[in-house]
Amino acid sequence: MCLAIPALVCELVNEKRVMVDITGVRREADTSLLEEPLEIGDYVLVHTGFIISKLDPEQAKEDLKLWDEILSNQ
Amino acid sequence: MSEPTQKYRDKDVVNILIKKIKTLAEKSSETVRIMHVCGTHEHDLVKAGLRSLLPKNIDLIAGPGCPVCVCSAQDIDEVLWIADNHNVTIATFGDMMRVPSSTESLYQAQGRGVDIKIVYGVSDAIKMAEKNPETEFVFFSVGFETTSCVTAAEVVRTKLPNFSIYSSHKIVPPAMELLLQRDDLEFDGFLAPGHVSTIIGAKPYEFIPEKYDFPVSIAGFEPVDILLGIYSVLDQIIDGTARVDNMYKRYVKHEGNIAALRIVEDAFILSDARWRGLGVWPETGHEISDKYAHIDAKKKFDIPDLPTEDLRDGCICNEILIGKSKPQKCKLFNKSCRPDYPIGACMVSHEGTCNVAATYEEIIWEE
Repeated sequence: MCLAIPALVCELVNEKRVMVDITGVRREADTSLLEEPLEIGDYVLVHTGFIISKLDPEQAKEDLKLWDEILSNQ
Repeated sequence: MSEPTQKYRDKDVVNILIKKIKTLAEKSSETVRIMHVCGTHEHDLVKAGLRSLLPKNIDLIAGPGCPVCVCSAQDIDEVLWIADNHNVTIATFGDMMRVPSSTESLYQAQGRGVDIKIVYGVSDAIKMAEKNPETEFVFFSVGFETTSCVTAAEVVRTKLPNFSIYSSHKIVPPAMELLLQRDDLEFDGFLAPGHVSTIIGAKPYEFIPEKYDFPVSIAGFEPVDILLGIYSVLDQIIDGTARVDNMYKRYVKHEGNIAALRIVEDAFILSDARWRGLGVWPETGHEISDKYAHIDAKKKFDIPDLPTEDLRDGCICNEILIGKSKPQKCKLFNKSCRPDYPIGACMVSHEGTCNVAATYEEIIWEE
């Protein structure tokens, strides 16, 4: 139920809607729950037709650094 | 194309992480019990076979994280009462269709003529109501914070005379506190749900280490995400420390999704909620606030007190929901209660603990 699917923003439809690509399937998603603006190429999480979160690419890089720390700290 | 998830499924990374977890676990002579409270965690970790890879002294317990499973029979009884007595069309998630009420499931009710539509989300139900102004629609809304914010977005903007919402929404952190307060449960750390946390952030869990000196880690859903979560909870347990670690930072901000939280606060009020087989848990639910009474099915229809029964035929879903028992210990499991013929709520959804155990033929080690 709390399943949220990672998707790629591929078209800006209007102020409250974007088109997303979910492993090749395109559908519209509502952006009402998101404060930050979206751009084509952003990764987002979609839950029941609404975007609930936008991937933070800087943070994703930080995550990878944290992995390295944990994985190298034998 | 989707998010490049491959690196979160990398076999080598998984193997190294398992090794690290084993090294840590060896420092404990006792069994370490970690509880997650998310149906998607249960599904994804069993699908990836993670329980079988973990050292034997780590027990990963499934808590009450499947919203369909925790939905009380009474909520379904009431929705069906509205349908039967007010000639209403019910719209709801497909997951809800086979969940038993006191007497029947929504599918069975559909079989005797009740009009029930399966929708992907609340917005689709609203579109149906717009297209059919002569028909009265009720959207039966279940889910934790991930779903309730979506419902909230429609509560605050929808003004249709023929549409209302029955809220069976529940919230996670106060339920976690009630689990901590139980004398009949023993566990050492929480794995917090990643997608709920995209909305609420890390803050609402902070009382757990502060008040209970109890470790929490927020985890995502790929195998590496889940293992990193387990690693960080285990690290805290072994170390004797307690804090909230956010291991899903690429999607979860400390303060959560502010815009969504603002809408939720406007649309809902905190309420007591009925959990299947577990009674009423104070302040663990979300009801539509008075400001939006026009869209609240519980106010629109005068629902009487109905006799209700959460558990049937010896079902122990109440114990399975809080991790007190395992599906394989239930005498109905995979016999009279199966994914294709569920008796208990936990056997219905693909995220239900019993359904997952049956689908992936999970074997548990006998003590």
